[in-house]
Amino acid sequence: MTESATGVDTKPRAPGGLVRGTLRTLRNEFTDKERRLGYILVTPAIAIILAIALFPLLYAIWLSLQEIIINQSSSFVGFQNYVDMIQDPDFHSALINTTVFTVLSVSLELVLGMAIALALNRAFKGRGIARATALAPWAFPPAIAAVMWRLMFQDQVGGGILAYLIRSSGIYTHPILGSDSALIVAAVLVDVWKTTPFMALLLLAGLQVIPQEVYEASRVDGATSWQQFWRVTLPLVRPAMLVALLFRTLDAWRVYDLLWVMGNRQLNSLSVYVYNGVKISQLDFSLGNAAAVFVFLSSIAIAFLFIKVLGTRAVD
Amino acid sequence: MTTRKVGKHRSAMGRREFLRLSGAGIAGSALLSACSGFGGEEEASGSGKVIMSHGPDPVLEGLLKKQLEDFNAQHKGEIEAIFRPMGEDYFDQLRTQFQAGGGDIDVISGDVIWPAQFGANGWIDDLSDRFTEEMQGAYLEGPLGANQYQDAVYGVPWFTDLGMLYYRADLLKQSGFSNAPATYDELFSMAEKVQSDAGVRHGHVFQGSNYEGGVVNGLEFIWAHGGDALDTEDPTQVIIDSPESAAGLETYRGTVEAGITPEAIVTFTEPECDAAFRNGDAVFMRNWPYVYGMLLAGDAEIKLNQVGVAPLPAGEGESEGFSALGGWNLFINATSDVKDEAWELIKFLTTPEAVKFRAIEGSYLSALQETYEDQEVLDQAPVYEVAGQVTDQIRPRPVSPFYGDMTLEMAEEFNNSLKGETSPEDAVATLQESMQGIIDQGTS
Amino acid sequence: MFGDFETRWGKVLFYVLITVFVLMTISPLLWMAKMALVSPAELDVYPPKILPESLDFTSFKTIFGDARFRSALVNTVVIAGFTTVICLSVGSIAAYALARLKFGLRGPVLSMILAVAFFPAVAIIAPLFLQFTNWGIVNTYQSMIIPDVLFALPLTVYLLVAYFRELPLDIEEAAKVDGASPMQAFFRVTLPLSIPGVVTTGLLCFIFAATEFLFANTFAFDSSTQPVTVIIPQFATQYRTDYGAQAAASMVVTIPLTILVLAFQRRIVSGLTAGAVK
Repeated sequence: MTESATGVDTKPRAPGGLVRGTLRTLRNEFTDKERRLGYILVTPAIAIILAIALFPLLYAIWLSLQEIIINQSSSFVGFQNYVDMIQDPDFHSALINTTVFTVLSVSLELVLGMAIALALNRAFKGRGIARATALAPWAFPPAIAAVMWRLMFQDQVGGGILAYLIRSSGIYTHPILGSDSALIVAAVLVDVWKTTPFMALLLLAGLQVIPQEVYEASRVDGATSWQQFWRVTLPLVRPAMLVALLFRTLDAWRVYDLLWVMGNRQLNSLSVYVYNGVKISQLDFSLGNAAAVFVFLSSIAIAFLFIKVLGTRAVD
Repeated sequence: MTTRKVGKHRSAMGRREFLRLSGAGIAGSALLSACSGFGGEEEASGSGKVIMSHGPDPVLEGLLKKQLEDFNAQHKGEIEAIFRPMGEDYFDQLRTQFQAGGGDIDVISGDVIWPAQFGANGWIDDLSDRFTEEMQGAYLEGPLGANQYQDAVYGVPWFTDLGMLYYRADLLKQSGFSNAPATYDELFSMAEKVQSDAGVRHGHVFQGSNYEGGVVNGLEFIWAHGGDALDTEDPTQVIIDSPESAAGLETYRGTVEAGITPEAIVTFTEPECDAAFRNGDAVFMRNWPYVYGMLLAGDAEIKLNQVGVAPLPAGEGESEGFSALGGWNLFINATSDVKDEAWELIKFLTTPEAVKFRAIEGSYLSALQETYEDQEVLDQAPVYEVAGQVTDQIRPRPVSPFYGDMTLEMAEEFNNSLKGETSPEDAVATLQESMQGIIDQGTS
Repeated sequence: MFGDFETRWGKVLFYVLITVFVLMTISPLLWMAKMALVSPAELDVYPPKILPESLDFTSFKTIFGDARFRSALVNTVVIAGFTTVICLSVGSIAAYALARLKFGLRGPVLSMILAVAFFPAVAIIAPLFLQFTNWGIVNTYQSMIIPDVLFALPLTVYLLVAYFRELPLDIEEAAKVDGASPMQAFFRVTLPLSIPGVVTTGLLCFIFAATEFLFANTFAFDSSTQPVTVIIPQFATQYRTDYGAQAAASMVVTIPLTILVLAFQRRIVSGLTAGAVK
């Protein structure tokens, strides 16, 4: 993400020389055989991104400035859709649900993932099995994981084992699928089940590159395991942790399939709000596009926060 | 849109072409105009091929296949009808297809709540010229009315569906009741008594989840208490904010508060209800006629002779309850280029004989009046006897081209009200505003 | 963190925690297997019983008797297969350029490709739908393959750049000294040497496309193109959700995916973490 351009000479020059220098560099970029080949080889990938991500994004922005009723009319309305969106109670619930889901799932996954990574970082009998198990849920299509868990959370039916256990243990005696807040918590559990092991493996990789001597040195200084974790392990694993966090946060922020299927279409999230607007409703197409642009901008903001403020580096 | 002229061989070519082109990258895909995927039980259509679609319904599918075979034999060399099964999200799929340019289905089976929306958008044809008034006269008023919108008739009723009250006749008798409840008051007291006498888990179950079935059930409670959603004289006016509607939702929630209905009702759809009932866990159940067919099969805990069926109860101060109209109709896609052939198929599937066949073989309810007087049907499909009693107590859900947006609002508010999170008064007031807003926005 | 692993109690506690973790991870899978393998009557029994009382293959018969499910399986393989092939072709040459060739915009190009991983797919479904309608490709495999390729691309490039960089430069240099062009060096030396990396990357691409739901749910509208992720949540008839069939179908889909992942687990883990920890 943050790698600076390597080939172009960007040293400051005299104003006239700057133009000439840039031109020369530019010419050089395309006459040098190796450089030219470089550009040719990345062209298909870049073309795909421009055609399928960038162009549609601009189109979405344009659509979000129109008032469109499917099959009937359209007219330019400026930012009216954004104003309507911000006043829409459904948008509020989408924003709240998405935020709660993201914060809960990512923090739980981090804490549990770290614990599991620390455990897996030791040599013990059965480590291979534990690690293999960890990967199993990861290959699950989220939509199918949601189907499976929804079934287990269904109250008063034969398949609803979790609902039954939760009800009879008295933890929560209302129907889980009947309440939005309970559903969010349930969805967080599914996400934690599906993704924690993966988070753990990413963190484990970070842990494994910490040299053993560092631990030994701190042990000589008389540090307890707890102090060792905070003073040695955490700072050293931080870069890997931030990358994992960045990916997980953005994944959770745009969650669609899990909530759509778990909530049987009724649980609102930002992506579900967009989908309902552009695909389900006849009247809210423009609102949905405004929300689509909002999801994009907020994702950028989150990435920016991680990269600039926390100093996450996804690329060496 | 995938062009309709792709024949069997062209289709195979299309796939080969695709293999070649996709290798050439994305640019290739843009050039491709015809590539149907795998799994074509049908080989697209040339002239005379009529594609017909219906949502998931294995029993009906079996009967339909047989009927289509007969049809194809009769029209050998001229018309070939091909069935295309669709998924649970049939409605979304159809709408996607229409928005993408029309699609290739010719005869579309559609739910009773779709004609207004599809018709107003010009997605399906007005059949007034083909479906004459004389022909219309043979139909029950409710199912026929569902196809009429603004002087046009968009579909022919195929079969109909209505809500009924199933009850455990054996348990009611044990507790000293000889008749099914006529009012919700009676239902509440009977349910409480039977529940404690016989130790049954639930008194009454119905479809209370946040989905279309919840809208149906909520409306039935509102109708039973004299309320309604739209003004029948002027369907652009929402009239749901009334004491009657609020009373309906009061009773709706009341089932849970009285303890005859489990709190989990807010997540119940049809299968949860019929599973509970067939397993002996419920005294009363509101459901569609299909459960009768399931009981007839006889593999459940509860047998047909333990069960009674009655019209839905009335609310306080009202004389009768109403059942929401369900059922399916046959439309012709506006972009079809085999409309005459499509009409032939529709006529074939709606003859009294065809209807009778589905009635006897699958307990599907006819939309034709005469079927309810046919002794052979009454003998072999006992559900007709009960259904015959309620056919004049059927009401359609609101008829509007924006029903699709309105129903989402109703589903949510009815569900909130059933959960006890919103008071009945607030729920109907909220709905008044949001539904009127939808109509105003759509007709502006 | 786990205290003194050396003491006996520490050891016991440690193994208890590991066991809990393993159980929590696999118990939902076991319940799903139970749901798939009991009789329809047992499915409805409430309260649920932990252990199965019957063994019955009705649910499997249902799903394999269903033409929609069978074609959905094929659709998934075709969509994921094409996505993988396209992604590997486009991604490997781009990754080679980014790993080995020096050109001015190398950094920005890599950043741009990786940034797609952060792009919210839902932001572009409406424009894509309109565009695909114009092109006449709604409800075709391409309508899913095209966006799938886009979103699988960052992962592909990320992994392959890491693999290519790990290869010793001198073999390639030797080939160049022998007169091979950079392209020849890539096809004759780099690519063959990185086959394991390419296979692992392809597997991850395949899994990504096979588990995709949003585009499939948006662009595919009948059984000729819908993949399993769309079909399974809909395993229902007009009135009934068939829980047993859903469970059986989920098993059929996830077991092969899981086996693939387990077979390649070491490579997947090292691949995915290669860039992150350097």
